[in-house]
Amino acid sequence: MADEEKPRPVIPKGEPFIKTDVISPTFMMQYDACTRCGECDKWCPVLDAKDGDRKYSPMDKISRFRSFMGQSYGLKAKLFGPKKLDEDDIQDFTDAFFHCSTCGVCASVCPAGINTVDMYEATRQQLVMRGNGPYGKTVMFPKLIGEYRNPYMKDQKQRLDWIPDDVEIAEEADVAYFAGCTAGFNQQVLGVATARVLNHLNVPFIYLGEEETCCSSALIRTGQPHKGDIPYINAKHNVEALEARGVKKVMFACAGCYRVATIDWPKLLGRKPNFEVVHVADLLADLIQQGKIEWKKSFDNKIITYHDPCHLGRHCGVYETPRIVLDNLPGLKFVEMDRIKELQRCCGAGGGVKAGIADVALDIASERIRDAQAVNADILSSCCPFCRRNIGDGRDNVYDQIGATDYDLRDNPENKMQVEDMIVLVAELMGLSTKIKSQEEADKAAGVEPEAPKHLIDL
Amino acid sequence: MAEFSYYSGIPTFYMMIGIAMVAILIFLLGMYLNMQKWGGGSASHFLKTFIKSINHEKLGHHKRQSLLSTIILDILLQRRILRRSPFRWVMHMMIFVGWIGMFILSMVFAVFEMLHAINIGHFDLVVIRNSLDFSNEVLGYMLLIGLIIAIARRLVIPDVVKRTQIFDWVLVLGTLFITVTGFMAEGFRPDAITGAWTFLGDNVALAETFALFHVAISLLFCIAYIPYSKYMHMLAAPMVILVNGGGE
Repeated sequence: MADEEKPRPVIPKGEPFIKTDVISPTFMMQYDACTRCGECDKWCPVLDAKDGDRKYSPMDKISRFRSFMGQSYGLKAKLFGPKKLDEDDIQDFTDAFFHCSTCGVCASVCPAGINTVDMYEATRQQLVMRGNGPYGKTVMFPKLIGEYRNPYMKDQKQRLDWIPDDVEIAEEADVAYFAGCTAGFNQQVLGVATARVLNHLNVPFIYLGEEETCCSSALIRTGQPHKGDIPYINAKHNVEALEARGVKKVMFACAGCYRVATIDWPKLLGRKPNFEVVHVADLLADLIQQGKIEWKKSFDNKIITYHDPCHLGRHCGVYETPRIVLDNLPGLKFVEMDRIKELQRCCGAGGGVKAGIADVALDIASERIRDAQAVNADILSSCCPFCRRNIGDGRDNVYDQIGATDYDLRDNPENKMQVEDMIVLVAELMGLSTKIKSQEEADKAAGVEPEAPKHLIDL
Repeated sequence: MAEFSYYSGIPTFYMMIGIAMVAILIFLLGMYLNMQKWGGGSASHFLKTFIKSINHEKLGHHKRQSLLSTIILDILLQRRILRRSPFRWVMHMMIFVGWIGMFILSMVFAVFEMLHAINIGHFDLVVIRNSLDFSNEVLGYMLLIGLIIAIARRLVIPDVVKRTQIFDWVLVLGTLFITVTGFMAEGFRPDAITGAWTFLGDNVALAETFALFHVAISLLFCIAYIPYSKYMHMLAAPMVILVNGGGE
């Protein structure tokens, strides 16, 4: 983000240095509602990872932007013209502003109830439009999602590659499974587990396959929704394609996609889709409570804890159903960590932080692992591929540090805490294979017989 | 005017009205500029969006509580602060109740004075003032205690000291100054019951001048200055809570 990398914006004389045209009036008002009580600072995972450096304080970010606004639109600016702002100061502010996983814990604890997530996203967009953002590699998101319709540079035809031969996908059904790009391309175990669980539970579902496009969460979260209007185009495409198939429910196992479908699709399209948006945890909890799930396997008295994904929990209010599921898994004792539900500690991956500022994401994830260690958890589960990936990285980071002195742990990696998505655990305990198609094909070619996971016992 | 000076402590009642008008005009100008800033150059656009937002549906599993619950629980009782810190809640409620309470009582008494000035209604201003005295005393002490706690926090608690800026000090010290001058003006005034001049003996002119000073700076700092300072949170925070639906 050095100055020489970016051309400086040319501001006509008399014009404010920062415009506000994409920040809604109520978000602008929120900047003046901050009481500077500092509650947000106490909870911010980024400020924590940055050892309390005031530059990254949510409260001070609000104050700095409010100051910019005052100098551009206040009484003095009206009388004598907007003050010339220091470009280095704006860039410094922008860099700090993108050091935020938009987890929203600051909004949860704010006495004034400031909706920091939406306010930050709109402000990020304004800064990007001005030429100051985004941060690091996240600048590639519009090109990737716009060109490939997914962030992994995969051909759309490959969206069907993850589907194993045994999985049945209906031509017509009341339910659609929206796999998303990460389960479809990058963490296929999640797609495979979800599809097999749905088949096992006799829930017929359709899948858009090649027609499915990225939910565009990465663009919205990093202040780039205006670039090519990609989130709107993709939202319109996905919603219309799902509606054309006549589904009543669209099922998500990815918290990021679920957040977009629940909150961003209605905002982008100006209407709610003609189908219900559900998370797979909702379905499973419902079936568990009805006694309709039969487990075939069990863990051997392990302790499990749950990490609320920000996008599922704080952003959408889904807290209970994943807990109902995990609490009912056989052979597991469910315990809660210190910071949960609306006060949960973010994994650190969101808001473009994993892609843009990987070291910060890793530090935050490592803290979450320490939260799980504090309650002696053997398994840390979540409902989000990004949490799974980043907390997994955090786990490796923490154990790398421990491994330097703890040789037993270094030499016996199975003693490490397991970080796994809820749907994978459910599939395994139902006795279903969670091997992805390419693994199964490789095993078949090598003549390896499929076997049940060693860490489970038969019921 | 002598009669009015006895009741409100102001030598010239109309002078107070004049200062109040100036304060209100400065306040309104500031509010207009703020709303214009929020509304991207149009105050009316802000107002329309604000009103529309109060009842907008929440997305996801979050449910919007009733407007009445939001006003009572989140704006008046400030439960979001209570949930985070009972200590800070006590401090803030002391300041909030003290400030708002005295503001309301001052307005009430000003209305009676105005009615009296234009010969509407037959009431005894002495009785009215006496009936408000106890409430004013209690509210004044609440405000003073709240402010002392606020200042002590900003001087003693390391985390709070670290994040305190001049922006915060202006508000808290300014309000303390108003509060202290209020107590002094009250002390200089003739006792409501005995009619005896207190701290200043019978120096009526000085007492009246001080009372005018207190009222003038109160109006300018506590009304006119609101839109240009951290005081703005008094209005913006409840408005934000209304828009975002409150709740714990």
